[in-house]
Amino acid sequence: MVQMVITGLICGALLGFVMQRGRFCLTGGFRDMYLTKDNRMFYALLIAIAIQSVGVYTLISLKVFEFSAGSLPIVAVIVGSFIFGIGIIFAGGCATGTWYRAGEGLLGSWIALAGYMLVAAMMKSGVLLPMDTAIKETKIESNSIAETIGVNNWLIITIFVVVVTFIIYRELKKPRVKIPGLKSKKTGLAHILFEKRWHPFITATLIGVIATLAWPLSVATGRIGGLGVTTPSANILQFLVTGQISFINWGVFLVLGIFLGSLFAAKMSGEFRFRIPDTKTAINSLCGGLMMGFGAGLAGGCSIGNGLVMTAMMTWQGWISLGFMILGTWTASYFVFVRPSKKAKQATEIIPA
Amino acid sequence: MKKILEVMGMVCPFPLVEAKEAIKGLNSGDELEVQFDCTQGTESIPRWAAEEGHEVTEYEQVGDAAWTITIKKK
Repeated sequence: MVQMVITGLICGALLGFVMQRGRFCLTGGFRDMYLTKDNRMFYALLIAIAIQSVGVYTLISLKVFEFSAGSLPIVAVIVGSFIFGIGIIFAGGCATGTWYRAGEGLLGSWIALAGYMLVAAMMKSGVLLPMDTAIKETKIESNSIAETIGVNNWLIITIFVVVVTFIIYRELKKPRVKIPGLKSKKTGLAHILFEKRWHPFITATLIGVIATLAWPLSVATGRIGGLGVTTPSANILQFLVTGQISFINWGVFLVLGIFLGSLFAAKMSGEFRFRIPDTKTAINSLCGGLMMGFGAGLAGGCSIGNGLVMTAMMTWQGWISLGFMILGTWTASYFVFVRPSKKAKQATEIIPA
Repeated sequence: MKKILEVMGMVCPFPLVEAKEAIKGLNSGDELEVQFDCTQGTESIPRWAAEEGHEVTEYEQVGDAAWTITIKKK
């Protein structure tokens, strides 16, 4: 128990710290692929996936633990991920993003988090469980990409690493515009940790390392898995209302750690303040949180569980989920950002000059 | 001319969306001061200004999680 508390909190705090300082926002990243044709954050995610994939499969090859991809509840993954993608646009951040923004003092994220935890718990053990189970009954036996194609996992990983390396090389070769920054007020380590702008690829590398580290730490406490946010978030609420200690696991301390790590990073950088959302933002946050809980519950993971971890494990679930999650964010972005601005444009054109 | 846009309390990406909208109504050489408190905006707003070729004449953290940036339209 003590080990679970300590390693979970430390791993989570590292993740929260890195995400806050690195401004690692997958929602913004997916959204900007469509809105501004900017793929940087998506490429950053690919780096984190590649590092974790190599790291975790090395540990598996060394027989540190075993991993089975299980079966693929295809309908649940597609529908759930799409809804999750819509939800994170409304909530202004994915599940992990919401945890770390809650640590920055954004009360809108606290609202989103409450909605997310509630519906995720309803899906795991509440009134939505029968529906969740029914949708998950439609499944495909093999979830492992390597198994389906009939090759070794390492072949898939090698091809993936080569592709990612090529993308990163091409991206870094592009001419860069100088982005104006804030005047430095700190020096040395304090400047690097609490002030400097981090390159998204550096942030992604650190996240890949933390995601790898999460596996042996979690396995040591009996939880076979890596980073995960949805089930642990639901577990907190399940524990609080039932009092059953069985709901407490490594993941619970991981998500609490994300909050604490981000809080610490924000405090130290002068970026913490309780910020009250306006009515519209508050309602959007709540609706987004509810959709996130439903979507992630159904899909069996959020942008971390499926988008970062199950992708690294080279499962169909991870990659199909990532694809539909991105489609969800684009769909919501169209209705939230693109259409309103088109309408506004039309309205001004109609008015005679 | 200098226009002030106050977007405190708005979350990412709305400060940027509002800034893009506000700068449309300005003439070349006019300045737009954006007051915002969304942490992610500290990255996205100056990046957008630089990529569009606008000049950032002032950029400061004015308090805990509060920033102001002045952009001169190209």
